[in-house]
Amino acid sequence: MQKIKLAIVGCGKVTETFHLPVADLSDEFDVIAVVDKHLPQARKLAEKYNIPLVEDDFKNIIGKVDAAVVALPHHLHGSVGLKLLQNGIHVLVEKPVALKLSECDKMINASQSLGKILSVGLLRRYYEASVFIKRMLDNKMLGNIISFDFREGHIFNWNSASDFMFRKFAGGGVLVDAGAHALDTLLWWLGDYEEVEYFDDAMGGVEANAEIHLFMKSGAKGMVELSRTRNLRNTYIINGDLGSLEVGLGVNPEIRLYTGSRDLHFSGQIIKNEMDKNNKAVFERQLSDFAKAIKNKKPPFITGTEGRRSVELIETCYAYKKVLKEPWLLNVKESL
Amino acid sequence: MNWPDELNGKQVLITGGTGFIGGRLVEILKTDYDVNVRVLVSNMANVARIARFSVDMIKGDICNPEEVERAVDGCDYVFHCAYGNKGTQENRRRINIEGTRNILAASLNHNVKKVIYLSTIMVYGDTPNAEIDETAPRKFSGGVYSDTKIEAENLAFDYHTNKGLPVTILQPTAVYGPFAPVWSTNVIDKLKKGTVMLINKGEGLCNGVYIDDVVNAILLAAVNKDAEGKAFIISGNQPVSWKEFYSYYENMLGCSSTQDISEADATVYMARLRTRKSLLKVLREDKKMLSSLLETPFISNIRKAAMKILPQPVLFSINKKLKGNAHAQATAKKDSGINHKPLKPVHAISDADIQFFKTKAHFKIDKAKKVLGYEPRYNFEDGMKLTELWAEAANLLDKNPQHVK
Repeated sequence: MQKIKLAIVGCGKVTETFHLPVADLSDEFDVIAVVDKHLPQARKLAEKYNIPLVEDDFKNIIGKVDAAVVALPHHLHGSVGLKLLQNGIHVLVEKPVALKLSECDKMINASQSLGKILSVGLLRRYYEASVFIKRMLDNKMLGNIISFDFREGHIFNWNSASDFMFRKFAGGGVLVDAGAHALDTLLWWLGDYEEVEYFDDAMGGVEANAEIHLFMKSGAKGMVELSRTRNLRNTYIINGDLGSLEVGLGVNPEIRLYTGSRDLHFSGQIIKNEMDKNNKAVFERQLSDFAKAIKNKKPPFITGTEGRRSVELIETCYAYKKVLKEPWLLNVKESL
Repeated sequence: MNWPDELNGKQVLITGGTGFIGGRLVEILKTDYDVNVRVLVSNMANVARIARFSVDMIKGDICNPEEVERAVDGCDYVFHCAYGNKGTQENRRRINIEGTRNILAASLNHNVKKVIYLSTIMVYGDTPNAEIDETAPRKFSGGVYSDTKIEAENLAFDYHTNKGLPVTILQPTAVYGPFAPVWSTNVIDKLKKGTVMLINKGEGLCNGVYIDDVVNAILLAAVNKDAEGKAFIISGNQPVSWKEFYSYYENMLGCSSTQDISEADATVYMARLRTRKSLLKVLREDKKMLSSLLETPFISNIRKAAMKILPQPVLFSINKKLKGNAHAQATAKKDSGINHKPLKPVHAISDADIQFFKTKAHFKIDKAKKVLGYEPRYNFEDGMKLTELWAEAANLLDKNPQHVK
């Protein structure tokens, strides 16, 4: 069977570490083009993986490929993704789908009206642990969900090939970055939100710390804390009226289940045939789902409409932002 | 306190702006002032804290004269806080000396109004139990950090005396507070993971200063004409004992993780440790062997063996404490179901540490008070309260560490 001709648009760290090595080994795709405005980086990867086409403008691949992985700085997802879809190219776009809701909607419309696949790289949904928890919650194994507490923060050290994520045009800081994953997971597991209150510490730049307080339509309430300057607890806790769970954030995290009281718990990892050993396995599953959607003309595991949910929440957060107070940061002049 | 408004509207360059002191300087210049801040960044992965502000972050290597020229171009003030804190000794040396030379040369070329160079009281080397001021001699001690700071100070003085560059040198004592790597984060980490030995009952003096006081001194020095060509010791109003310093952190953690040791016992311990150095050296260089060793049950025996080389009275006292802790932990375990690790290894100390922690030198700040109008605003009590608020938020105090991985 003929392979799907694929382009990788954006040759940063995530492409170099995951998208390309995974696509290169894929039976379903044939990577025929890499695109990056920084040509030496694109050439380096093209040579390594023996890719015939190297371009510095994504428009040059239109008409030459069937599908594209878009792994560009966030602010370009919307415009590039839309153009590719409009030109008949199936798109797997890294999260967030786009920075603006209006861009998301245009992409979703284009995808639906032209019958092209729009798949969103919200990778954590592909984790077996995430799927397991989703099923547990849907089956009401914890009863009705009362509260949740998500904490996710690392002292930042991701040596990205470019510094776009710290620039204003990134569209935000930790909220659009780690937050896009955390909020997507939360909405997927617990359903839509009713009200949100948002705090962050940006003062003219992009936020390094954020707190999102949420009331869910289900009646559950809780908070998501995010940080790029602090190593936080890095677990998600969900409390129901029958029990609660705590899960780590890695590829194959420990899940701890509590009964009604917290004196006893059961703990372990999710195993399905073979465990996910690393992120590469998860990227493989994501790419394979993309191929399946293209071939079967069926919606992918994470559609544009699903990806839109966290974009909408993030947009609302920024629109109603309040200042995050850091109690040790006295305004020195005022407190004199 | 005098906050110099002359800085408003000015263009400044900060080196080391992604670090502890430079990072707080950026914060204050952007929250309390209206200053155009440019930061020379060696590694963009470290900019999260300063990227919160509208700051001009330019990637560059302080050891590259052209890149430094570009960074200094158009600046009224240069705050040189960068220093080599990782990599080989040669690399650290290069950053501290060549980097400083590049900053000074570029500042001269671009007619910078003032360069502030962040040095350290370590330039005074081993100090006697006496009051120390800026007239004390600089002493080379063999340590890369302190020795290169002396050389960099000499460069700065030379640029002032012979080329007329307006430069002021600040010599902070132990700077603590939010984000302080050495005197806050590491102290907390060491107390959490093991037992810290206090030389001579911790009666030596800790000359410490809260971070915001250091930033205040930097800003005062920047706009002070009389400060040109001078060095100033910057410290809090009064030193405290090391015992007191560590107990602030022990209280934050709710633990007792220090152990008194006499200078004589510590010296014996160090000598015994040195005889085992060859083994340690092998382990340090063979990371694979070390990590596989750490995964074996033998490691607990090795820890026990390490305890045995401690002098008897110290060992006795630690054992007593461990037994006490074990009892408390057993009770806690029964109450909460939480399983604590009973054994806390003793952190090794060096000969230089023994010298550093035993001295009762008192660093005086009279000159900074007189010339700069510097007045420390935070005593230890207040500074540590703010440090605790930060440490709590930064998840360093681990009140309930029993979470999933």
